[in-house]
Amino acid sequence: MNTTFWVFTIIIGLVAIFIPRVGLLALYKNYRAGQAREQVEDALKHLLDREQQGRHASPESLGGTLDLPRAKTTRLIEDMETQGLVESRGNEIHLTAKGERWALHVVRAHRLWERYLADEARMPLKQIHDEAHKREHSLTEAQLNELDAALGHPTRDPHGDPIPTREGKLNRAEGMPITAWQPDRPARIVHLEDEPALAYQQILAAGLRLGQDIRIIEKTPNRYVLSDGENEYRLAPAVASNIHVAALPESEMLKREAVPLFELSHDQRGEIVTLDEAVQGFTRRRFLDLGLTPGTMIYPELKNFFGDPRAYRVRGTLIALRKDQAAQIWVKPI
Amino acid sequence: METIQPNDVLAKAESLRNNLSTGFRDEIVKSLYSEAEKIAKRAVKTSSDKKYDFDQKVDRLVTSPIFGLPIMLILLGIVIWLTVSGANVASEAIANLLFALGDIGRNFFNQIGAPWWLTGFLWDGVYLGLAWVISVMLPPMAIFFPAFTFLEDLGYLPRVAFNLDWMFKKSGAHGKQSLTMAMGFGCNAAGVVATRIIDSPRERLIAILTNNFVPCNGRFPTLIMLATVFVASAFPAAITSFIAAGTVVAVVLIGVVFTFLMSWLLSKTVLKGEASAFTLELPPYRKPNFGRILYTSIIDRTIFVLWRAMQTAAPAGAIIWLLANIPYGDVNLARAIADWLNPFGLLLGLDGVILLAYIIAIPANEIVVPTMMMMYMGAGMMIDGPSSNAAIFDLLVNGNGWTLLTAVNLMLFALLHNPCATTIMTIYKETKSWKWATVSVVITLGTAFLVTFLTASIARLLGWA
Repeated sequence: MNTTFWVFTIIIGLVAIFIPRVGLLALYKNYRAGQAREQVEDALKHLLDREQQGRHASPESLGGTLDLPRAKTTRLIEDMETQGLVESRGNEIHLTAKGERWALHVVRAHRLWERYLADEARMPLKQIHDEAHKREHSLTEAQLNELDAALGHPTRDPHGDPIPTREGKLNRAEGMPITAWQPDRPARIVHLEDEPALAYQQILAAGLRLGQDIRIIEKTPNRYVLSDGENEYRLAPAVASNIHVAALPESEMLKREAVPLFELSHDQRGEIVTLDEAVQGFTRRRFLDLGLTPGTMIYPELKNFFGDPRAYRVRGTLIALRKDQAAQIWVKPI
Repeated sequence: METIQPNDVLAKAESLRNNLSTGFRDEIVKSLYSEAEKIAKRAVKTSSDKKYDFDQKVDRLVTSPIFGLPIMLILLGIVIWLTVSGANVASEAIANLLFALGDIGRNFFNQIGAPWWLTGFLWDGVYLGLAWVISVMLPPMAIFFPAFTFLEDLGYLPRVAFNLDWMFKKSGAHGKQSLTMAMGFGCNAAGVVATRIIDSPRERLIAILTNNFVPCNGRFPTLIMLATVFVASAFPAAITSFIAAGTVVAVVLIGVVFTFLMSWLLSKTVLKGEASAFTLELPPYRKPNFGRILYTSIIDRTIFVLWRAMQTAAPAGAIIWLLANIPYGDVNLARAIADWLNPFGLLLGLDGVILLAYIIAIPANEIVVPTMMMMYMGAGMMIDGPSSNAAIFDLLVNGNGWTLLTAVNLMLFALLHNPCATTIMTIYKETKSWKWATVSVVITLGTAFLVTFLTASIARLLGWA
C-alpha cells in the first residue's frame, strides 16, 4: 500500500512538472523566454534611440542602459546577431532592417500604451511611462493595430514624441513641403531643408525662420506669397518647397483672443472657442458629449458656496464644472 | 475596367487620414449639434420662461451659502426620522406576524414528534434568523428607498453633489460620491453598485472603499436602541423618536467626517493621483412620477437588497442557534467564545458579547441586537430583549457591566466596522478584485479598532470610565 502511494505521488509529481504548456517546467521556460524577449526588446530600443540621435551604440552603452555585466552583454549581442537583428562593426552596433522594424514595433507599443493610459485610464502623467514600459512587450502587431484604431490613430504620445505608424515609419520632422499645403490654412514652419544650399540661403534671406506661424495668401505656378500677419514673403515654388510646415496646434491660434472659462464673471456670456489641446481621450469626449463644442454660448449661473465648482448654462442645461475643467475650455467673452 | 476593391478604399482612407486636422472630431460633434439644434428649433416651441425662472430661484436657494447646507441637513434629518419612526411600528407588526408563524411551525414539529434539535435548528435558528432580518430590514428600506428615489426624481440630489464637491475635491475624491453615500443609507451594497456613476476609476474606488462609513438601515436598529436607551431616556417620551433620529444624524455626521478623512488618506497613499475631470449635469426640477418612484424603490432596490440579505441571514441564524445550544463545559459555546473575547473587547471599551455578535453578524448586521440580547439573557435563541427601555438599561448596565463608554463605543463600532458579507461580495463583483475587497475590510475594521481603542483609553486615563 505504501509503495502504491509513493508511485502514485511520484507519477503525479512528474506529470505536474513535465506536462506540456501548463506544467511547471513549461511555465518556467515560458517565463525565461519572456524575460529574454524583454531584454532583446529593451536592447533594440536603446539602439534605435542612439541611431535617431545620430550616435552609435556600443557594447558599453548597451550594457550601461540595460544594467548588464560585460559577459552577458556580449552574449546578448551575439544572440541578436544570430537572429539577424544587429550587426557589429568594430565597437559599433548597428540595427539591421529587421532589427529596426522590431524596435519600431516596441516603441509604437510603448507610446500607444502611454496614450491609452493618459487618455482613457486617466493616469497621472508621471506614472504612465513606467506602466507603459511594463506593458510594451506583450502585444502582437495585430493587437497593436487594434489599440491604434481604438485610440483614433494618434500621432504623438502624451509627451509629444511621434508614434511610429503601422508601416514602421517614424515621422521625425512631421510636416510637408508648403507646396503641398492648402492655402488659407495657418501653418507652422517645422523644418527648413538645407539642400540645395542656394534655396536655403534665399529662405533665410527672406527672413523666414523655424517655428514661425504663416499662411499662404497667394499661390501661382510662378510664385508663392506667404504672410505671418505682419510681413509678406515672396518665393519661387522651387524655393518654397524647401519649407516644411505642419498644422498649428489649432487651439494655440484660437486661444490668443480667448480666456479660460473660469475667468468669466457671473452672468457674463461667452462663446466657446476651443477645448485645450491637453484634453484628449475620455475627458474630451465627455466635454463634447455635454455639448461644449466650439461656437456654443455659455455663461456661469450658479456658484457653489466655496466658489468652486460653478454651474454653467449651456444649450439650456446646467452643467457643473470644477475650476480645473473650466480652465481647459477657452471662451471669447461677449 | 478597373474595379475598386475594399482594400483600395481602406488604403485611400489610410492615406487621407494624415491630412485631417487634429480637431476633426470636434468638428464632427459640432456639426451633429448644430443639426440637432436646427431640428429642435423647428419642432420645439417654448411658450414662457416661468419654469426656467422658478428653477433658477430654487437653485439659488438650495446652493446658497446660508441656506444650502442647513436645507441639506434638514432633508437628511427628515428622511432619517421618517425611516426611524415609521419603521418602528411596521417592524413590530411584521415581527409579531412572523414570530407567530414560527410558533405555529414549532408547535407542529413538536406534535409530530420531531427531535428537539431539529425543531430548534430549523425554527429557532434558520427561520428566526430570516424572520428577524425581514422584520428589521424591510420596513426601513421600504420607507427610505422611496424617500431617496423621490429626492432623486425631483432633481435635488445632483445639487447635493454640487454643494459638497468642494470638500470631496479637497480629499481627492469626486462630488458624485455624495450620491453614492446617500444610497448607502439604504444599503451599502447598493451604494457600492451606485458608484458606477463615477467615471474615473481612481475616484470610484475611493467611493467604494469608504461607502461603509455611512451606516445603512441594517445598522440603524443598533444605533436607535442605544440612542433611545442611553440618550432619549433623559427626555420626555413624546419626542423620543426625534431624539433617536437626531442621534442617528449625529452619528451619520461623524461617519461623513471619517469618509472625508479616509478618502483623503487613500488619495495620498494607495490611490495616489490627481483629481480627474469633474462634470455634473444639474437637470431641471421635475414633478416626481410616483408610479415610477414606487417601482424603482420597491422592486429594483428594496426587494433586490432584501433577497440578498435573506440568503445570508438563514445560515447566520443557524450558526447562532448552534453556538447557543452546543454545550462547552458548564456553559454553551457562544458564552465560552464571548468570555474568551472579553479581554480584547474590554480593551476597546466594548465586551466579548458585542464582539461575538459582530462576528456572527458579518452576514447581516440586522441581527446584532437580538444576538446580544440572547447572550445577555442566557437564552437559547435570538430574542427581543426586555420590553421597556428602563429594563434594557437595567439589564445592560447593572446586569452586564455596561457604562456610558460601552454605549458610545458601540455606536462608533457600529458606524465604522467592516462591511457585511453582501457588501464585501458586491465590492468584489464591482472591482473584480479580491485585493480591493480585502482592503475595504482592513481599513474599516482597522479604523473601528483604532478609534474605539483610543476613546476607551482616553476615557480611562481621564477617569471617566
